[in-house]
Amino acid sequence: MPKEEEPRIGVYICHCGINIAATVDVEEVAKYAEKLPNVVVAKHYVYVCSSPGQSMIKDDIEEHKLNRVIVASCSPTMHEPTFRKVVAEAGLNPYLFEMANIREQCSWVHPKEPQKATEKAKDLIKMAVAKSRLLERLQVKEAGVTLRALIIGAGISGMRSALDLADRGFEVHLIEKAPSIGGRMAQLDELYPTSEYALDVLKPIMDAVTSHPKIKLFTNSELEALDGFIGNFKAKIRVKPRYVTNECNACGKCETVCPIEVSNDFDFGLSKRKAVYLPFTVAMPRTYVIDYENCNKCGKCIEVCERGAIDLKEKPMKMEVDVGTIIVATGHDLYEPPKGEYGYKVYDNIITMPQLERLLDENGPTQGQLQFKGSTPKSVVFISCVGSRQEPGIYQPIEKDQQLNRYCSRVCCTATFQNVLSIKKKYPDTRIYYLYRDIRSFGKGHEEYYRKASESGVLFLKYKPEVPPVVSSDQKGLLVTVEDILTNNETIAIPADLVVLNVGMIPRNDASDIQTKLRISRGADGFFQEAHAKLRPLETPLDGIYLAGTTQGPKDITESTIMGSAAAAKAAIPLARGKVEVEPTVASVNEDICKGCGRCEEVCEYGAIKVEETGPFDRVPMLVAKVTEAQCKGCGSCSVVCPNGAITMRHFTKEQIKAMVRAATGG
Amino acid sequence: MSEMQGVLVIGGGIAGMQASLDLADQGFTVYLVERNPSIGGRMAQLDKTFPTLDCASCIMTPKMVDVGRHPNIKMLIYSEITKISRAGKKFKVKVLRKPRYVDETKCIGCGICAQHCPIEIPNEFDEGLGLRKAVYVPFPQAVPLIYTIDKDNCIECGLCEKVCGAEAVDPNQEPEEVELEVGAIIVATGYNLFDSRKKEEYGYGIYDNVITGLELERLLSASGPTGGHVLRPSDGKIPKKVAFLQCVGSRDEKVGNQYCSRVCCMYATKEAELVKEHVPGTETTIFYMDIRAFGKGYEEFYIRAEKEFGIKYVKGRVAEILEDTASKNLLIRAENIESGELIEEEVDMVILCAGLVPALTDEMRKILPLPIDDYGFITTAHPKIDPVSTSLKGVFTAGVAEGPKDIPDTVAQASAAAMKASIVAKG
Repeated sequence: MPKEEEPRIGVYICHCGINIAATVDVEEVAKYAEKLPNVVVAKHYVYVCSSPGQSMIKDDIEEHKLNRVIVASCSPTMHEPTFRKVVAEAGLNPYLFEMANIREQCSWVHPKEPQKATEKAKDLIKMAVAKSRLLERLQVKEAGVTLRALIIGAGISGMRSALDLADRGFEVHLIEKAPSIGGRMAQLDELYPTSEYALDVLKPIMDAVTSHPKIKLFTNSELEALDGFIGNFKAKIRVKPRYVTNECNACGKCETVCPIEVSNDFDFGLSKRKAVYLPFTVAMPRTYVIDYENCNKCGKCIEVCERGAIDLKEKPMKMEVDVGTIIVATGHDLYEPPKGEYGYKVYDNIITMPQLERLLDENGPTQGQLQFKGSTPKSVVFISCVGSRQEPGIYQPIEKDQQLNRYCSRVCCTATFQNVLSIKKKYPDTRIYYLYRDIRSFGKGHEEYYRKASESGVLFLKYKPEVPPVVSSDQKGLLVTVEDILTNNETIAIPADLVVLNVGMIPRNDASDIQTKLRISRGADGFFQEAHAKLRPLETPLDGIYLAGTTQGPKDITESTIMGSAAAAKAAIPLARGKVEVEPTVASVNEDICKGCGRCEEVCEYGAIKVEETGPFDRVPMLVAKVTEAQCKGCGSCSVVCPNGAITMRHFTKEQIKAMVRAATGG
Repeated sequence: MSEMQGVLVIGGGIAGMQASLDLADQGFTVYLVERNPSIGGRMAQLDKTFPTLDCASCIMTPKMVDVGRHPNIKMLIYSEITKISRAGKKFKVKVLRKPRYVDETKCIGCGICAQHCPIEIPNEFDEGLGLRKAVYVPFPQAVPLIYTIDKDNCIECGLCEKVCGAEAVDPNQEPEEVELEVGAIIVATGYNLFDSRKKEEYGYGIYDNVITGLELERLLSASGPTGGHVLRPSDGKIPKKVAFLQCVGSRDEKVGNQYCSRVCCMYATKEAELVKEHVPGTETTIFYMDIRAFGKGYEEFYIRAEKEFGIKYVKGRVAEILEDTASKNLLIRAENIESGELIEEEVDMVILCAGLVPALTDEMRKILPLPIDDYGFITTAHPKIDPVSTSLKGVFTAGVAEGPKDIPDTVAQASAAAMKASIVAKG
């Protein structure tokens, strides 16, 4: 619209049935509105959003040559899109529509003061008129979408996301930091509540991921940097050298001759592996990997490899991929008790539950025999909530500055029952004690599992967090002392051959690195934060980036699988549409005023504004802030901190807001 | 790629709504069938939600509006499925649109009819604690905002027809049958509360001041029958001592429900907090078996309730409740497992934290033979790695229909079901 064109405003006051009209004198308000500057027509109607109400607006735009429309009714969340559409259908730019909320902000909150509510409604409309006169036309832009998703992490949730998106028909790049896909689930023995062997369940999924024509898999790979916005991300990926090429047929001769032995992380230190190794029995890809740091470069592996697959000179590879959407499925780490917590690393025969899983695994270091340091325990004590439910005030961090993990890790109780049943199946005479705080077997079929474990003869002892069990040692072995609530706080001493600490899940040690690269936020618990605790559990505040699995908080396999599929559903939406709409109500920089100080960049939570070099002017490069509109949420933080007033929020310009304030204050 | 097929979503609660939105946003045509007059489901009945204390309708209404105006979602509300049959890879579905006796295309939801309707009956949405008219919307934010005449209670006085300016009232409206063809189905039929009458020892339905947690939600709600005041049903007085009983109909083999309902520990904690917030100084005690605060931020919420709000937690199952016939106060008999003492405590009001039972009906299972577990929850193809597919190809499930779960877990499962359905329906 040319600037000189005089605003011609139509104001429509809605009764909302009786919701507004029972409190606010709508007729009086309409008469008042008619006299406001530039208002050409003001009407009240029982339901402006109804189809006759909408027609009334359209007819008036035509008849009265209106170029601005105001509806005074409910919250814009409710009907702003409706009315923007109405004015657009009548040929007006939808951003020339303005709304005054005289329901939620007026009639609903002041039902007992109709006179004052009527006056307030007038003020709200006066303010809307003041803003409306200064409204500008804005255009919704569209951006294309790269029809490919990036998934970071190939554990159970990342693999699920990848398979679902690929089955839906989209190309997927799946990157995994470790040399094999499979994640934490590969380290488990049997799964609750079906007692299936984890690898039997996992292997078909790993095979499907490896063979899917739409999935490009990069193991031993990390995200190095990310740029761009929804639909148009650029991801830099670093593929670490494996030092073993695709020629490898996993014959294992290299491993036999390798002279180096190091602690095996896959077995949580319960076994040794060579410097050239296959991460686990069914690792995918089935290609060996050399642990370069520990390798002494003796060259024996090269000598025995018939296929010439070993290449100690392999260099890291870098690549850049365009992707439309991203799923973060980087998983969790396990709590490592500090030395001395329940005697851990002070006394022998104290292990964590993940270590127990490795001992019970047929493919583990003891071929499934419950043997630790050469003997089979006759008495096993499980202690719950180690590194979980740490209450401040009660729980003292053993090391200073150690973060308390206040949350429950969700899986440990039922996982204990699984392990109890496994031990009882193999060694029926084992005495098993479970020292717990609350039994949290809440999942489907878990309560039944709890009963099965109880019936197998495990003894339950409930401790208070204020009086945790104490693990000590004498000549005979370990002694676990507990004040048991279930026997009226009797102190019970249990001789134990093996103590199992049910360690919880913690955020991964690379979480802050991922956080920086993706600019997504983390909660007080250190896990990645979803956009809304109840209704947006998969989204991050950044459009186009979604969360799956334990990266968002502790979860079991079922829940991680659900979240994997669910994140895929979110990631599929922009890919299926093939375009994203870019809201025009965002920040805009006046480059003539901007000094490039960068304060806006510091406060922007969405990475939408960046100081860039421009010019040069007089051969000196100039710095100015630039907005990536598709990333901007229009929150206004940058505009507030800009010391030079160089940033305007479109549709909420300073002039528009000042005009509203003046109208409200009568100034 | 061949043409995208439609998807049928059964149930318009938060699970059905989320699944519909995720599919519709991908471009699929979604038929959302809900048997009640509005979408919204159980979540719409809640006051605030744990652990953020967001008001349920505040966060839900925008979502309901999104569903209502999505160009790809065809809402078949106040409707029931009558037949589903396979036709090749597709399903043929018959839906009965029950007569509202109000023309959906004409009603503007102004509410004048309800103002004039002389009949008042207990409002189901308020768990029977408030009243509604025979012509009604279940709650003010209903989507679609269209009135319905409840013919069972209508006396056919004709007043509504006379006062309706939109001429929307149509007493002769007939049921209408709609036929659909879809490529996939999502069953999100939700839950009912366990019928607390089955636990006779707690006196629900006998003693006035024993109510369920969902009834308390309605009392706490500012738009509820008491305008947000927690009042005793017997005398309208503000209770000073309130007890909450956990695991009513859950973890209880005597009533045949061994499962945990997953939400009760947290909703009791939240409700106790809200009761104290409404009337500071109210004594609140929660009798529990195990506190299961396992979700994100839940443990922190529970500890805060105990330490900062002074909510008392007593480990022990309540044996019985007796009523003082004069004062209508309630005497609780329980064992405190931690101290080993027997407790006899008089309180003004008792809240039964009733568990969740499946709402899936036998009639629905005759139409669609979904496999169910011992309790009636839908069984999925694999409990660990395929937790939304059913053994019926092309049929998926989400929300409490599959098993008890809280809102974030329901929302996630709904998105997961949408993903699976999109793979089948992509053509």
